[in-house]
Amino acid sequence: MARVKVEQQQPATGVTLIVLVGLAIAFLLFMAFLNVVKSGNLLNETNLLFAALIFYSGAGALYLGFGITGTESYVKFASLATGLGLIANTAAIAHRWYEAGHAPFSSVYEMLLSFVWTLAVLTLVAEKKYGVKVIGTVTMPVAIVGVVLMQLLRTDVHPLVPALQSTWLHVHVTLAMLAYAACALSFALAAMFLIQDNVKTETFLAATSASTLAIYASVVLTRFEKWGGLSLVAWNPEQKSEVFLSRGVRLFVTIPDLGWLMTLTLLVVASPLVFYGLARWKHNDSFLTLANRAVFLSILLQVMTLVMFLLRASDGRYPSLDADGLFPTSLAASPFILSGLVGGVFISLLYLLLVWRRPDLGRLLPSADNLDRITYKTICLAFPLLTLMIASGAYWANQTWGSYWSWDPKETWAAITWLVYALYLHMRITRGWRGRRAAYFAIGGFAVVMFTFFGVTYLLPGLHAYA
Amino acid sequence: MACLAWDLHFSLGELGYNMTVNLRALAHKTWRTIASIQSGVVLLILVVILSAVGTIVLQRPTTEPDEMQSAYSPHVLRILDAVGLTDVFHSWWFLGVVLLVSLCITAASIDRFPNSWRYFSRPYKYPDESFRRASHPQKSLAIADEESGLVAAERALHSLGFKPERVVREDHLREDHFGIFAERHRISELAVYIVHASLLLIFFGTVVDGIWGWRGYLSLNEGQSSNIVELHDGSTRTLPFAIRCDAAGQENYKDGTPKKWWSKLAVVEDGRDVQKKEIVVNDPLLYNGVRFYQSSYGPNGKVDKFVLVATPSNGSGEKQEVGLAVNDTVSLDADTTVRFAEFFPDYAVRDGQVYRKSNQLENPAAHLVVTSKRAGKDFDVWLPAMDGVADNSLAPYQFQATDLKMGHFTGLQVSHEPGQWGVWSGVVLMGIGLAFVFYVVHMRFWVVPVRDPKTGKNSLWIGGTANRNRDAFEQRFNDLVELVEEELKPIPKTFTRTRVATVSGN
Repeated sequence: MARVKVEQQQPATGVTLIVLVGLAIAFLLFMAFLNVVKSGNLLNETNLLFAALIFYSGAGALYLGFGITGTESYVKFASLATGLGLIANTAAIAHRWYEAGHAPFSSVYEMLLSFVWTLAVLTLVAEKKYGVKVIGTVTMPVAIVGVVLMQLLRTDVHPLVPALQSTWLHVHVTLAMLAYAACALSFALAAMFLIQDNVKTETFLAATSASTLAIYASVVLTRFEKWGGLSLVAWNPEQKSEVFLSRGVRLFVTIPDLGWLMTLTLLVVASPLVFYGLARWKHNDSFLTLANRAVFLSILLQVMTLVMFLLRASDGRYPSLDADGLFPTSLAASPFILSGLVGGVFISLLYLLLVWRRPDLGRLLPSADNLDRITYKTICLAFPLLTLMIASGAYWANQTWGSYWSWDPKETWAAITWLVYALYLHMRITRGWRGRRAAYFAIGGFAVVMFTFFGVTYLLPGLHAYA
Repeated sequence: MACLAWDLHFSLGELGYNMTVNLRALAHKTWRTIASIQSGVVLLILVVILSAVGTIVLQRPTTEPDEMQSAYSPHVLRILDAVGLTDVFHSWWFLGVVLLVSLCITAASIDRFPNSWRYFSRPYKYPDESFRRASHPQKSLAIADEESGLVAAERALHSLGFKPERVVREDHLREDHFGIFAERHRISELAVYIVHASLLLIFFGTVVDGIWGWRGYLSLNEGQSSNIVELHDGSTRTLPFAIRCDAAGQENYKDGTPKKWWSKLAVVEDGRDVQKKEIVVNDPLLYNGVRFYQSSYGPNGKVDKFVLVATPSNGSGEKQEVGLAVNDTVSLDADTTVRFAEFFPDYAVRDGQVYRKSNQLENPAAHLVVTSKRAGKDFDVWLPAMDGVADNSLAPYQFQATDLKMGHFTGLQVSHEPGQWGVWSGVVLMGIGLAFVFYVVHMRFWVVPVRDPKTGKNSLWIGGTANRNRDAFEQRFNDLVELVEEELKPIPKTFTRTRVATVSGN
């Protein structure tokens, strides 16, 4: 019955949403045009990124609309918008490359630029080649967050210190971005497989809660200061760089009370996991209702934390434990915390989407068999990329430091990621692992990738301080 | 007694027999365990866990000792040191686990290789009935007679770029059966061994480097030469040749951050310059397996040249300009000389004494000694003038500093890694192997004409397999079937027999 109802609604909602998104894009383009006329410079990077953001947002809205209502006609317009956004994104990369004289892979900002680009390309490939239309529902919001982060982060072209002036570095970072994007895609596909394989919704609940808990726990454990403050790296707005006390030692400022808010959010995002545990232990499903409510509450709190973080980090001067005086900080000084908080909200929203639309999702997604196969294929793509990434990194290190392998944390974790995917391939090929076990393995592999990408830079010290 | 002795002998013999049997069984069992995928997986998980621990616990080689001490309490540190957790990647047990992994890979490859080799060297060319029943994908097409069917299949395979091969097989009635076999990229079946071998080659390279390789540091002032390298473990190593720095420098970006460091190096062997190169970061000098990398550059706190204007204190005579390096002595007139005694790049004064605060050129001071034969004594002169240390006005000359050229050092990383060729060839081999594993598909097609014994009608059975990427293969299979159908429509007037291979009792 429900399905029939949705199909009856299609024409009306379809046209409305497309018209609305089209009007929004037209309005934003008009505003952007006014802005261009005022500044008189059409092709600067900010404008290009702004255009990319507009189109990606339109695409994201349409893909979300498709994810929620299942209206096929949205997808055509969504991929058109993605394509247009991709053109603007490519132009922004080209512009920056031209301006800097080196491939744009030397800072978090520049890596995000390439990551978002790869994500958009892979989305279009997955949609056109493999027919995974709903993939945009997941990837385009990620791309939007990426572009928003780019607008917030520094946009100055930074000169490269001598160690980073090598073609091999560009090769290394490009391969890393491609490999990580492929891993991200395999993760999304594995998660979709689990949905198609009728994994219980409460398992996703536990996973959502656990991953948001991991985000908040890593922030609180490393950055919580005495009296409930939160430590952030100080930022020098004139030089547009972090403030260093001495070589490699950053100056931290403490934002008062934000630590308490983080801790409170930590407890709330952990609560669905607790209720889930209780439900399993007492065999009482009423705890699950509580858990779902807790997720809802956690989203509100997470959004509040995010807003507080945005407001307080982007403005004001704060004391430091290591130096006298007040120092400003900036969102650009804490890109990982920012992306963690945004990621947490996003994961929880995806869970809500799953809870609301579970019956329809089964129809929208490709079959479980197909998803299983595509996940494997994506990993077959990711694994050689990972191998080449490690090899090019080793070659670069050998040219620069005189040693191809020095067991620094990033290197070690890259090797661990490689081993985990090697295990996946062996299990699949020699032991015939298919379906759920393989999907869980792919998800675990991506968790390791995330740790290598964010966790190592953020939690463990090492040579890769540039990245 | 005799009886007992015989008994004993007997049982000893039996024991020996049992022991050989047990030993053989044990060896077999050990081999099976090492070669099994389970032990490989367990060992890989162990490597993952140990490496992860090595990134979480601070490691001695990459951490300053006082940082270690502030991070862990003495008690904890002692335990960590004793267990070897402060230097995981150089500990004997980590090396042991890596060696076990290599052993496991080798054993698994040896164990599985004969099977794959048989598969590779003696391809299955004529599918029997049970194979045909189970094969997927497969298709049967109606044909008029055997030969036309086979020719159509051959043409279709040719047009798809295959080289079809006629095979003949005798059945139990000594009757010949014809079929067609075509394949592509058989090597793909062996690709996994290439990958495993490459991994072993990389391990081998790193082990060679671990045993015979070394890394160290060499710091040279401009013009200086040295053959002594300070190794990372604190010892030194004397090279059979010396390295000389002729010049070194730094280029900056507009904002003052360093853009480029360079050094002009020369290799000196038996008093001759045998090699010269200007190195920059990312572009080392290689001589006799030893590499010299530019790793740092900076002031060495020493004066290259100090230029002064000397004016006689009594106002008679000319101003003159003198250039001095530390410890140089220059005559100012017939009976007065000046010596550049000391230089402080960054000085501080305490209790009438001058101290060196650092090597950075922050706050320099120079100590000159003016010797006058006429007065028969030495005068201390300080630039800048320092009350309480010496009185400059007493000296027969007054000095004014006009230029100060500081010397610079270039910091070189020096390394000898004889195993790195193993590593790089392993990496290249792995790239090739992985390309074959993932993207080169072993495809096989069989075509067999079949006569239904009941109806007497002929049909052409087409089957095929691929070792990976099966859905893409099915598409190709369907293409082939379509082509064969196409070829079957017009009856071919001429046909040529392609190669005939006899396969007996396959």
